Amino acid sequence: MAAPWWRHITRWKRGCWSSAVSETLWPVTGRSASSSGFVPGLVGGSSEPGNEVKPSSQIFSKSLLSDVSLIRPRPRLPVAALQPLCCRSTHSDAKLKDPFTLAQKDLTTLYDDIKKELFVSRTELKSLCDYYFDGRGKAIRPIIVVLMARALNVHSNRSGDLLPGQRAIAMITEMIHTASLVHDDVIDGSDARRGKQSLNQVWGEKKAILAGDFILSAASMALARIGNITVVKVLSQVIEDLVRGEFMQLGSKENENERFKHYLEKTFKKTASLIANSCKAVSILVNSDPEVQEIAYQYGKNVGIAFQLVDDVLDFTSGAEQLGKPSAADLKLGLATGPVLFACQQFPELHAMIMRRFSSKGDVDRAWQYVLKSDGVQQTTFLARRYCQEAIRQVSLLRPSPERDALIRLTELVLSRDK
Amino acid sequence: MSVSEKDKMFAAACLKLVRQTVSSQRTLSLFSSTGSSSWTKVVSDAEKIVGYPTSFMSLRCLLSDELSNVAMHIRKLVGTQHPLLNTARGFVYDSKNNLQMRGLIVLLLSKAAGPNHAAADVLAQDMVSGIYPSQRNLAEIVELIHTAFLVHRGVVNLKEWSASDGLLKDMEFGNKMAVLSGDFLLANACTGLAQLNNTEVVELISSAIGDVVQGIYYENHSSAEDGLIDGVDVTSWEEQTFLTHGALLAKSCEAAMLLAKHDKQSQTLAHLYGKHLSLGHKLNSDLQPFVKGGVGEPLTFSLNAAPVVFHRQIVGEDRWHQHLQQATTLRNQLDYSKLLATVKSEKGVRSALDLCCFHSNKALEAIKAFPSSEARAALENIAFAVAKF
Repeated sequence: MAAPWWRHITRWKRGCWSSAVSETLWPVTGRSASSSGFVPGLVGGSSEPGNEVKPSSQIFSKSLLSDVSLIRPRPRLPVAALQPLCCRSTHSDAKLKDPFTLAQKDLTTLYDDIKKELFVSRTELKSLCDYYFDGRGKAIRPIIVVLMARALNVHSNRSGDLLPGQRAIAMITEMIHTASLVHDDVIDGSDARRGKQSLNQVWGEKKAILAGDFILSAASMALARIGNITVVKVLSQVIEDLVRGEFMQLGSKENENERFKHYLEKTFKKTASLIANSCKAVSILVNSDPEVQEIAYQYGKNVGIAFQLVDDVLDFTSGAEQLGKPSAADLKLGLATGPVLFACQQFPELHAMIMRRFSSKGDVDRAWQYVLKSDGVQQTTFLARRYCQEAIRQVSLLRPSPERDALIRLTELVLSRDK
Repeated sequence: MSVSEKDKMFAAACLKLVRQTVSSQRTLSLFSSTGSSSWTKVVSDAEKIVGYPTSFMSLRCLLSDELSNVAMHIRKLVGTQHPLLNTARGFVYDSKNNLQMRGLIVLLLSKAAGPNHAAADVLAQDMVSGIYPSQRNLAEIVELIHTAFLVHRGVVNLKEWSASDGLLKDMEFGNKMAVLSGDFLLANACTGLAQLNNTEVVELISSAIGDVVQGIYYENHSSAEDGLIDGVDVTSWEEQTFLTHGALLAKSCEAAMLLAKHDKQSQTLAHLYGKHLSLGHKLNSDLQPFVKGGVGEPLTFSLNAAPVVFHRQIVGEDRWHQHLQQATTLRNQLDYSKLLATVKSEKGVRSALDLCCFHSNKALEAIKAFPSSEARAALENIAFAVAKF
C-alpha cells in the first residue's frame, strides 16, 4: 500500500522528485506510468479537451519536469502538512479577497433576474421553473463567471465593471446548470436536492422534463439577445457536452486505463465544460486575443474538473444532511468515480463490481468499505489539488486584480468545501 | 463498446420514426391522418420541388453513437408498456405516412420566397435548388425539435406505476431513454441553430421551443379524461393550439425568411402561413372522427378536440354535463359513439368545419402574396388539402 499522498510532497521538498513525481501521480501502481491521459488538464494545450490527452508517460513526465511551478518547491508552495485534506493559502490571507464577498454585489439580484427571464403565464409552470432559483444553491458558477469577467476587464485595460453581456452570461450559466439538474434528477430518480424535495418528486416526471426544457429555452433566448454569435456557439456547445456526458455514464469501460480517461472526459463534459466555456464566453466579450480567451477557458476547465473530483470525494466522506442529497449516491447509480477507480488498484475485487455497476446485493456497501479502507479519497483529492494548481497557474497570467486573487482563493475553497 | 452497423440502422429506424407517434388518442405528426392518395401526391410532388425526399433529414444526427446506444437499450422496452416503444412501433408499420412536414414546408417557403436580390452580395452561400444551405439546415433543426418533443412527451409519471415493482423498473428505464434521447436531439438543435450565424433566428426558434413547452404543459395539465376543463372558448382554444401545434412552424417559416434577409413583410407573411396552416391542420385532424363515414373502427377521440370544445361552448356547461352523463355507461366508462352522435347533432362540428376553412383560406391568402412559382403552388395545394374532408 502506498504512503499517504502528503509524504510525496515532503519528498519533493527534499529534491528527490524524479521518481517521486511518477510515484505521486501513479502511487498505487507498481507498474510503470503508462496509463494514458491521467491528468489531461496539466499539459495545457488547446481548448479541445480531446487533444490534450498525452498517452505516453514519457511526454507527460517531461512536460511536468519542464513546468517549474509544479516541481520546484517555491516558498509559496504548500508545506507538508499532517492533515491530508487541509488547504493552505498561497498568499497571505489579508491580501486575498473572499470570492463570495467580492462577487456579492453583482449577484444580489441574480436569482430575481433569472426569474424574470422565465417568462411564462401559467402560474404552475412558473413555480416549477422558479423552484431552484430560490437562492439556496451555491451559485459557484455565476461567482466564477463574474470574477473572471472582472479580472479580464482589468487585464484588458477596461474598468473592472461588468459588461451587460457578461452579466447575462452569469445568469445563463446558472440557468443551463439548473436545467440539466432537473433532467438529471429524473434520469437518476433522485428525490431530493439542495435540502428539499426534487422537482420530479413534487410534480412528477412529465412536468419536470418540461420545466427543464423551458429553462433551457429561456437560457437560449437570453444568450441570443447578447447579440454575439461566437458566444452563442461557445455556450451551445456546453448544452451538447452536458448531454454527451450523461450518455457517457450509460456505458462502462472494461480496461482500467480507459476507465479513468473515460471518467475524466465525462467529468469535463458534465461539469467543467460549462464553467470553462462560460469563462471563455465572458472573455470573448471583452478581449479578442485568443491567448487571453484560452487562459480563461483553462482556468474554468481546471477548476471545473477539480470541483467535480471533490464532489465525488464528498459523496463518500460526507453525511447526507450536509450535502442536501443522499450520499454514496454515485455507487447506488452504478457509477464508479475517482475514489473507486483509485481504490480498485488496491482492491481488485472492485473490478467485477464496477463492471456490473454495483448491482449485486451488498455491492454498494462493500465498495464503500473498500474505498474508505483504501487511499482512493486521498488520491482523488490530490488529483483535484493538481488541477487547482494548474488553474492558478493559468489565471496568474492575467494582470493582478482583487478578482484575479479571488479566483485563486476560490480554488482553495473548492478543495476545502464540505458540501 | 463499439456499435455495429446493424445497431446503427436499428437506431436510425427507431428514431427516424419517432415522429410518427402512435399514441392512442391523437396523432401528433402533421398530416399523417388524412390518408387520401391525393394527399400523398401533394407531398411527393412537393418533395421533388425541394430537391430530395425530406424523410432522410436528420439522419446524420440519428446515426450518432449516442443514439445507437439508446436504441440498443430501447430493445429492452419490448414487452413493456412504456410509450416510447409505441413511437418506435409506428415506424415498422408504414413509411408512407412518415413525413417530415414541417421541414418540407420550411423548404418550400424558402424556395417560394426566392433569392434576395437586394442582399445577394451579403449572403455568402450558394443556393441549391433555390434554397440556401442555412435554410435547409433550419428545416432539419425544426424536425429535430419536433421529434425531441414527441420523445419527451413519452415520459411517464412514475407515481402512476408504483403498484408493481417490475413495471416500475420498466417505466424508469423507458423514462431515462426518453429524457436522454430528447435532450440529445434538443442539444443538436441548439448547436445547429448557433451554426446558422444569426442571433435573431436563435432567439426566435428558442422562443418557439418555449411555446411548445407551454402548450404541452397546459395540454397535460387539463386533459383529464372526463374533460372537466372550465370554459374553453374558441379564442383560448386557438391560443392554446397555436402554442402546441402552430408556434414551431410559424416561427420557423419566419426564421427562414430572416436567414435569406427577406423584408419584414415576407417574414410576417411566412409566419401567418405557418400559423394558419397549423391551426387548420389541427382542426382537420380533430374533425376526422366526426366526418368519417366509417363504422366498425374502434372509436375514440379527445374531449379537447375542437368539435367537442365548441359543442360544449355552444350548448353550455349544464347541457354538456348532461350529455356526458348520458354517454356514461353503467360501468362508468365513456361511450364514445354515443357522445359522438350527440356532438354531431349540435353545431360543434359545423363550427369546427367553418373554422378549418377559415384558416385554410387565411393560409392561402398569405402564400399568394409571394411571387408565383412551383413551390408556391405546392404550398397552395397543401393549404387546400387541409380543408378537404
